[in-house]
Amino acid sequence: MRQQDSHRRAFGHLRRRPDDVRSDVDEELDVHLQMRRDDLKARGWSDDSARREALRRFGDLEATREYCRRQDDEKENTMRRRLMLEDLAQDFRICFRGLRRAPMMTLTIVATVGLGIGATTAIFSAINAALLRPLPYANPGQLVRFYTDAPPNIWRFSLADYLALQAQQTQFEQIAGYSDRSMAFNDGNSAERFRGRVVTWTYFGLLGIRPVVGRDFRESDSQPGATPSIIVSNGFWQQRLGGRDDAIGRSIRFDGSDYTLVGVLPPRVGPLEQPHSFFVAAQWTTPPRKGPFMITAIGRLPAGASRAAASEELRAINKRIFPIWRASYQDDKATWAIMDLRTYIVGNVGTIAGLALSAVALVWLIACTNASNLLIARVTSRRRELAVRTALGASRGRVVRYLLAESTLLALGAAAVGVALTYAGIALLRNFGATYFPRTQEIGIDGTAVAVLAFLTLGSALLFGLIPAIHGAGGPPHEALQSLGRSTTGSVAVRRLRRLLVGTQFAIATPLLVGAGLLTVTLGALGRVELGFDTSNVISGAIQLPVPQYQQPERAAAFWDELRQRVAAVPGVAGVTFADGRPPVEVGNFNNFDLEDMPAGPGKSQPVTPWVGVTPEYFRVLGLTLLQGEIFDESEGRKENLEAIVVDRAWAKRFFPNESAIGKRLHQGGCTTCPWTRVVGVVSEVKYAGLDAPDEGTVYWPLGPQDRSRFLILRTRTDPSAVLPAVRQTIRDLDAGLPFSTVATMDELVTRSLQTPRSLSVLVGSLAVVALLLSLVGIYGVMAYYVEQHAKDIGIRVALGGSRADLLRLVVGQGMKVVAVGIVVGLVAAFGVTRLMSTLLFGVTPSDAVTFASVTLALLMVAFVACFVPARRAIGVEPSTVLRSD
Amino acid sequence: MKPAPLPLVQGTLDLLVLHTLVDGAMHGYGIATKVLEITAGELAIEDAALYQALHRLDRQGLVDAEWGPSENNRRARYYTLTAAGRKRLREETDNWRRYSRAVEAVLHRTR
Repeated sequence: MRQQDSHRRAFGHLRRRPDDVRSDVDEELDVHLQMRRDDLKARGWSDDSARREALRRFGDLEATREYCRRQDDEKENTMRRRLMLEDLAQDFRICFRGLRRAPMMTLTIVATVGLGIGATTAIFSAINAALLRPLPYANPGQLVRFYTDAPPNIWRFSLADYLALQAQQTQFEQIAGYSDRSMAFNDGNSAERFRGRVVTWTYFGLLGIRPVVGRDFRESDSQPGATPSIIVSNGFWQQRLGGRDDAIGRSIRFDGSDYTLVGVLPPRVGPLEQPHSFFVAAQWTTPPRKGPFMITAIGRLPAGASRAAASEELRAINKRIFPIWRASYQDDKATWAIMDLRTYIVGNVGTIAGLALSAVALVWLIACTNASNLLIARVTSRRRELAVRTALGASRGRVVRYLLAESTLLALGAAAVGVALTYAGIALLRNFGATYFPRTQEIGIDGTAVAVLAFLTLGSALLFGLIPAIHGAGGPPHEALQSLGRSTTGSVAVRRLRRLLVGTQFAIATPLLVGAGLLTVTLGALGRVELGFDTSNVISGAIQLPVPQYQQPERAAAFWDELRQRVAAVPGVAGVTFADGRPPVEVGNFNNFDLEDMPAGPGKSQPVTPWVGVTPEYFRVLGLTLLQGEIFDESEGRKENLEAIVVDRAWAKRFFPNESAIGKRLHQGGCTTCPWTRVVGVVSEVKYAGLDAPDEGTVYWPLGPQDRSRFLILRTRTDPSAVLPAVRQTIRDLDAGLPFSTVATMDELVTRSLQTPRSLSVLVGSLAVVALLLSLVGIYGVMAYYVEQHAKDIGIRVALGGSRADLLRLVVGQGMKVVAVGIVVGLVAAFGVTRLMSTLLFGVTPSDAVTFASVTLALLMVAFVACFVPARRAIGVEPSTVLRSD
Repeated sequence: MKPAPLPLVQGTLDLLVLHTLVDGAMHGYGIATKVLEITAGELAIEDAALYQALHRLDRQGLVDAEWGPSENNRRARYYTLTAAGRKRLREETDNWRRYSRAVEAVLHRTR
């Protein structure tokens, strides 16, 4: 029986299926009974009695059968599990060692794919938070915003509108209104402005927000004459009121008035409340005029209510109240309408979001392609090793698994980098993203982000793992073995595959580069836009006089006058002026007007332009050119009616293209009974609605001395920041409780207004550079491989007297063909997709020929270098060296 | 008449089975026959219990099972001790000896 030892397993455990186990046990027990019967028969038992005796002596046959099977099955399962784990652990160990021996490749793949995974997850999280997730309010689907629809404009509601809506609507569960107001909080040491909001008492209830301390507003808080009540944000409560519960009922001073604190909001609030520190209960009474339109109105529809019925009612109410306000408002074409509150909050960021997401996703894809390419090269150079494994009995599946283990390890490394980058990216977006994107405070790593990350990681492993794995395990082993010891021209299929991958890389990189190019041109064009005056040494900031102390117009007028004189006396100050808005984006107001010569016909909307209140020195201090007529003087601001305005050249051209605008008359703000307002001067243009907005005309009106909110604008002789401390001191000397806020030089304001296009072009630009580098790595790798495989051919040709220049052309041409095809495909794709980003462009069309041509040229040039270097090296080698090497 | 065979003390069957395999591979019927021979019929071991023990020991990795040709050229399942099985056999043998010595000592004194 010693021969049995030769049956010992040579290759570990041979697997048995459950069916095998079953029949094995049956057979074993049968054999036993048979043997027993034979023994008994040999001792003279009859056939029948021997069978019975064998069964008797055995005992419980069925139970044993069952027991043995169970034992065997369990054993099989344990073995299988252990073997799998062992194989897997071994694969990973070997892979890890192998990757450590190729650090450059490993680092490139982990870093670039990690960048792709991390950036894509971060951007996706932002998009998820802003665009996909519902608003963090109770039943957010029922929330809408009301607006006045006066095409092409969308206006807020006026107080008159809101009160009428409140009194007459029947279709909404609840409505609320608010208008923003910033006020100064003086804690005894210094005054600081806080952003806040005047809200109707229904506001928090409508959104489903409950104060965590104190109570919500009540209807009685909104009665005119009731004690003014205020609710503050959690942050304000913690930082300014000591976070104490007994702060409730306390009186807080804002802008010199007392408000009773009734409640504190929870730490987490919705995007509407996010930037605001306080909320004052509105005490609104019927206004004398229809305008101004300063109130944002929101409402909650009953669950499952019809929007059509609600819209119908809104139109009806608007029509009903129109005649009441005819004296101050004539636009009978304007109606009321609703939009989703989310649409209002999120705004039009789809294009930016789409651009950012596609840019990062493309980089991820190109990084995977590059990884695939590098791994194919690696597998190709290891094909013999793999063939030997196969020949020695490793199954094809085992080899694929081994190769997949390698890509899994790489993908896991990339995922680790990706997680780190996701965290960094999300922190960045939360801290700095608010300028470009809504709801950034809600960005976080949640289930969706984890799912995206996992999906990208798995996708990466498959994308860059499967092709090399199939390739590495493919083909009968003897083919690979036969070539042992002889250089080969490599499999045609591999070369084709690698060229395809490199072509794909260029096809992806091209649109990215074109997009980055267009954004860069845009940024350049925006940078070249003239603001309309010399922006150097101009600094400005906002001052708002609190109502209680400056109730009388004379007091405000006296303050402004005193301030101007004192600031003008500060050393280094060349000029002082005031305005209610400032370039390049902070236009104070837009106003409608009706021209005497061209009245708006019935059913037509009146023209609307930026409407900037200034003191007469404004034009001289900023350096605008007076083109015609004159500037209004100081006395105009003191008149009861607006009699004289100055317009800019664009305004004059727009309304009076063929004649002088001087002396033309108009009625402004929808007032038909007011005296005429006359154009007295025309000045050069200044941008107020952003550098990218076309000049549609601006009206300057004389700022009244009693206006309580102004920008103080200075021109200095030296660096404005050197003068600033003295200016601040001057303001403090005049009124210690008065904040001088949002102070910035004009250059800073211009820079700030370009933040979104700049960040976007930096983002897309750097991603495009990564894509370009990866494509170059790809083409370089393919070329290096090509010349290495053809070293002998090249050697022979050189030895036979072939011209090196011809050879170089031939070899480089091989690579450039691939590049060219990739670029052409990429250009076609770019042509299709850049028009989607047309709203982000300025001074350049989406199919700008110059950008397309320069990107193509630049790509061809760098790709040529990447092809030329390895080719040049191969051809420079002495033929004898190559030919002797085998 | 021989006295009736003794019932097996709990846990000793595994020890006996391992012991019979010390000299080399055996199939189940062979083990049963050998146990019967050695004990001269003193111990009552059902074939059912024997097979259950064999499969249990196989699952525990103490024996290996393999198909092989039997004496009359049938296919039979042969069991061999694994390294772990040999180690377990040594331990269990020692344990048994100590156990029986202890019991013997107690009985000796009381007699």
